[in-house]
Amino acid sequence: MAWVFAAPFLILFVLMYAGPLLAGFGMSFTDLRSTDVQNPLNVNGVGLDNYQRLMQDEAMRKAAWNTFFFVATGVPLTILLGLGAAVALHSGINRARVFFRVGYFMPHVTSIIGIAVAWRFLLDPESGLLNQGLGLVGVDGPAWLAEESTALPSLVVMAAWRGFGFDMVIFLAALQGIPRDLYEAADVDGAGRWATFRKITVPMLRPALLFTAVYSTIGFMQFLEEPLVMTQGGPLDSTLSASYAIYKQFGVGNYGYAGAAASVLFTVIVALSFLQFRMLRPKHH
Amino acid sequence: MRKFSRRAAIGLVATGLVLSGCGRDAGTSADKAKDVGAGKISGTVTVWAMGTEGEQLGAFAKEFEAANPGVKVVVTPMGFDVAHDKIISAIAGGATPDISMIGSTWMGELAKTGAVEPTPSNLIDKSAFFPGSWETVLSGGTAYGVPWYVETRAFYYRKDLADKAKVKAPTTWEETQSFASAVKAKAGASQGVYQNFRVGSWQEVVPLVWQAGGEIVEGNKWTFDTPQMVSALTQFQSFYKKGTAPNKVAEGAFPQNFIKGEAAAFYSGPWMIYGLDKDGGAGFDQKYDVAPYPKGSAGGTSLMGGGDLVVFKKSKNRDAAWRFIQWLSDPKTQVKWFQTTKGLPAVQSAWQDPALTSDKRVAVFGEVLKTAKTPPPYSTWEQVARVLEGEIQKVALLKTSPAEAAKVMQQKADDIGTGL
Amino acid sequence: MVRKAVLYVLLTLGLGVVVTPFGWAVLSSFKPEQEIRQSPPTFLPERPTLDGYRALLDQMDLFIVFLNSVVVAGVIVAANILFCSMVAYALTKLPFRARNIVFALVMVQMMVPGIVLMIPQFVVVANLGLVNTIFGIVLPYLVMPLGIFLMRQFMAEIPDELVHAARIDGAGEFRIFFRIVMPLCKPALATLGLITFLTAWNNFLWPAVVAQTQDRYTLPVALAIFSNHQTSQYGLLLAGAVVVVAPVLILFLALQRFFIEGIASTGIK
Repeated sequence: MAWVFAAPFLILFVLMYAGPLLAGFGMSFTDLRSTDVQNPLNVNGVGLDNYQRLMQDEAMRKAAWNTFFFVATGVPLTILLGLGAAVALHSGINRARVFFRVGYFMPHVTSIIGIAVAWRFLLDPESGLLNQGLGLVGVDGPAWLAEESTALPSLVVMAAWRGFGFDMVIFLAALQGIPRDLYEAADVDGAGRWATFRKITVPMLRPALLFTAVYSTIGFMQFLEEPLVMTQGGPLDSTLSASYAIYKQFGVGNYGYAGAAASVLFTVIVALSFLQFRMLRPKHH
Repeated sequence: MRKFSRRAAIGLVATGLVLSGCGRDAGTSADKAKDVGAGKISGTVTVWAMGTEGEQLGAFAKEFEAANPGVKVVVTPMGFDVAHDKIISAIAGGATPDISMIGSTWMGELAKTGAVEPTPSNLIDKSAFFPGSWETVLSGGTAYGVPWYVETRAFYYRKDLADKAKVKAPTTWEETQSFASAVKAKAGASQGVYQNFRVGSWQEVVPLVWQAGGEIVEGNKWTFDTPQMVSALTQFQSFYKKGTAPNKVAEGAFPQNFIKGEAAAFYSGPWMIYGLDKDGGAGFDQKYDVAPYPKGSAGGTSLMGGGDLVVFKKSKNRDAAWRFIQWLSDPKTQVKWFQTTKGLPAVQSAWQDPALTSDKRVAVFGEVLKTAKTPPPYSTWEQVARVLEGEIQKVALLKTSPAEAAKVMQQKADDIGTGL
Repeated sequence: MVRKAVLYVLLTLGLGVVVTPFGWAVLSSFKPEQEIRQSPPTFLPERPTLDGYRALLDQMDLFIVFLNSVVVAGVIVAANILFCSMVAYALTKLPFRARNIVFALVMVQMMVPGIVLMIPQFVVVANLGLVNTIFGIVLPYLVMPLGIFLMRQFMAEIPDELVHAARIDGAGEFRIFFRIVMPLCKPALATLGLITFLTAWNNFLWPAVVAQTQDRYTLPVALAIFSNHQTSQYGLLLAGAVVVVAPVLILFLALQRFFIEGIASTGIK
C-alpha cells in the first residue's frame, strides 16, 4: 500500500530526475561542452580533472567563501525575522492582523525584476532613500552595492527581506498547532513569558524549525537571483555565489566543469541538511 | 540512507566509466553548403528572435508572406537572458525552429554543435555585407548564417560640456585624456568619462588593443600577453588613476550619469541614440553628439557586433527559410527594418538610403562599421570573455597592473583553449 | 495594554520598512518611463500615467499569457496538494522498509542545483513529444519535494493512534487518508498550495525553454522579452511586476484564514 501512495513521486523521479541527475554527475568526469549537446556521448573522459581545477580556481574559492557567508548570516537572520514576526502576530493581535500578515508576506511574492529596480533606488549612493536617511543623522552612507565590503551584506539583507515572510507563514501555521492547555498549564505553574517561550513554544516548533532551517539553507546555498540582477557577482566577485558561478560556467558552455562544481555544491548541501536533521530531530519520537 | 548511497554510488561510477569509455571522434567531416531552389515555396517558417527584433519581426514579415502566397512566417520572441539556453536546449532535444536570430559571438559555438546549416552560396552574396560583419558568421572558414543587423561602438559626448570646457571631441587617445580632465575640471562633469568595467567590459578593451596595433588571436592561439594589450589596459586604467572615470558608481547609474552631466562621455552602440532621446527628454539630442573612436597608434578600429540569422539542419522547410533570410538581407528590406527597429543594416548598399544618411549621428556609425572587427569565432569565446572581464574589473578598481592583468588573461585563456 | 501598544508600534514600523521597496515599485508603475529613470528619483508619481499598463496590453497578448499562467499554476497546485500529501502519508503513517530511501530521494531532488538538470530534462520532454505543450511545462513540478517535506513535517504531528483506531474499525488506507488525515492538514495544505502556486507562478527558465510559440508563454516568460540591459522598458516591467504579484496576494488573502483556524481547533493532542 505504501508503494501506491509513494508512486506519484517515484514515477516522476524516475522519469524526470533520475536520468538527468546521473547525467549531471556523469558529465563532471568528462570534457563535455555546449558544442557537444547533439552527441553528448562523443566526449573524452577526464577523470577527476574538473574537480582538481575546481580546487585551484580562484573565483570558485571566492564563491565558496561567499556562499558560506550567505548561509551563515542569511539563514539565522531569515528564520529569526520570520519567527519574530510570527510570534508577534500570534500574541493576541486582533486588529489589522490580516493587514500585517499580507504586508509581511508581500516581499516573498514579488518578482525579482520589480524588486531589483526598487532596491537600486533605495541603495543608490547619492539619491537613495537609505543614504538620504543616514544623511539626516549625519552619517555618510557608502555606495552599498559598489563597495567590496558592503555589497555582500546588502544582498544578505535583501534576501532575508525577501525570504522571511515565507518562514513567518510556516511558523504561524505551526503556532496554531500548539495546544492552548499547554500554555494554560504553564500559567498555572507561574512560568514567565520567556520561560514559556523557551520551554513550550520552541520545542513544539521543532518540526517547523527543521523545515525552515533546511529550506532556508538550501535556498541560501543556491543563492542566485539577487547577485544576478543586483551586482552580477561584483565588485571583484565579492557577491559571486556558488550557484551563480555554476550558472556562469553553464552560460559559457563549460558543462563538464559546471557539473563538477554542481556536484560539490550538492554534496555540501546534503551534508549540511544531514547535520540539521540530526540537531533538530524530534525528541518525542 | 546508507543502502541508497551505496547503490547510487555504484550506478554513478558505472555511468562515469561508460562516458569515459566513449571518447571523441577524430575530426568531423566538413559541412558542404547546399543550393536553394528557385521554385515556389510554401508552408510555415518558424523563427525565433530576441527582444525588439522578436516583437517586430512578425508584423514585418507580412510583406514577405504577401509576395509568397502559401508561406506563413511564425515568429516567437524570446528574452535575451534566456535565448542562449533555449537554443542550446532545443539543439540537444532536436526541437529547433527553422530559423533563429543569434548573438554574433555565438556562431563559433553553434556551428560546432553541427546543428546549423552552412550558408548556400547561390542565394547570398557575401560581398554585399560589411567585411567585419561577414566575419561574424564564419566558423573554420565556412559561413553558417547571414548577418542581419550590425552594431558597433563609437564615442558619445556632451557637446555642451565640451564647449564649456573649451575642448573638441577627441580624435586620439591622448586627446581623450585631456578631454576627460578638462570636462571634469571646467565643466562640472565630476565623473569625467564613463567606461564600463562590469559584464561586457571586454567590449571597451578589445577595440583599444586593435587601435594599438595588436591582435587578440594569431595562428589559432590567444595573444593577450602582448605590449598592445598592456598599452590598451594602461590607457583604460589611466582614467581611473586620474579620477577621470568613475569606478565607484552603482550598477545602473549609467546612462543617468550622462544625462545629468556627471559623465561627459562614454563608448557604446547605436541603440543609445534612441535610449538617450527617450530618457533625456526634449532637447537633450541637442546637448550631445557622436564621434568615431579616438585613434590609437594604429587607428580607430571599433568592435563589430549585432545579430545573425541561422537555419537549423533539422528545418522542415529549409528552402523557404533561406528565401526568407534572403529577403531580409535585401537592401530595401534592410532599410525598412532600420526604420522599424533602428537596427543598423549589415548590407553596405543600404547605407546610401536617405533614411540612414539624414541623421549625422547614425552616419558616424556607418563610417565606423567599414573598419570594425569582430572577436574570433571560437566556441570558447564567451568563456574567455568572462575571464577578460574579471581582469578588466581588477584593472579598473586599481587592484592589479596592466602587465599583470595581461599575463593572467593569457594564462587563463590558454587553459580554456580555442575549442578548435 | 502597554505591551500591546508597543507591539503594534513595532509591527507598524516593521511593516513600513518591509513594504517600502514593493510600494515604490507599485507607485513607479504609474510613472512615465522618463520619471522612473530620473535621478534623484521621485517617490510619488509627479505625472501619473497608465502608459506602463497600456504597453503591457498593447505589446503582448496579456489574456492568453495570463490564462496560460493560471492553467500552469492551477494544474501544479492541484497535483501537488494530492500527490505530496499521498507521499507524505506513506512516509509518516505507512511503515515500509524503503521509507528512508524514498525520503532520501525526495531530499536529493530538493537539494540538487536545478540548472544542471535543465538540458537533460528538456531532452526527456522532447523524447516524450511534449515540447511546446502545457503538460511539458508542468511535468517536472507535479510532485515537488519541498511539498512532500512540508507535508511530512505536519503529518508526523498527527497522532498515529488516530490512524490505528480507524484501521481497527476496518477503514481502508485511502479512506483514512481522505477522510481523516487530509481534513486535519488544512493549514498545511493551505501553505502547500501557496508555496507551489508561488513556485509555478514565478517560474521562468523552464517554461521559457519548453514553450516555443508565444501562445504557450506564461507571464514571466512574456515579460522577459522586454528585459534587456540597455533598453529595458521599466514602465512596462514594473506594471508587469504588479500584475504578476496581484493574483498571489489575492490567493494569500483567501488562504490566510486557514492559518487562523488552525490545527488547534481540531483538537489534536
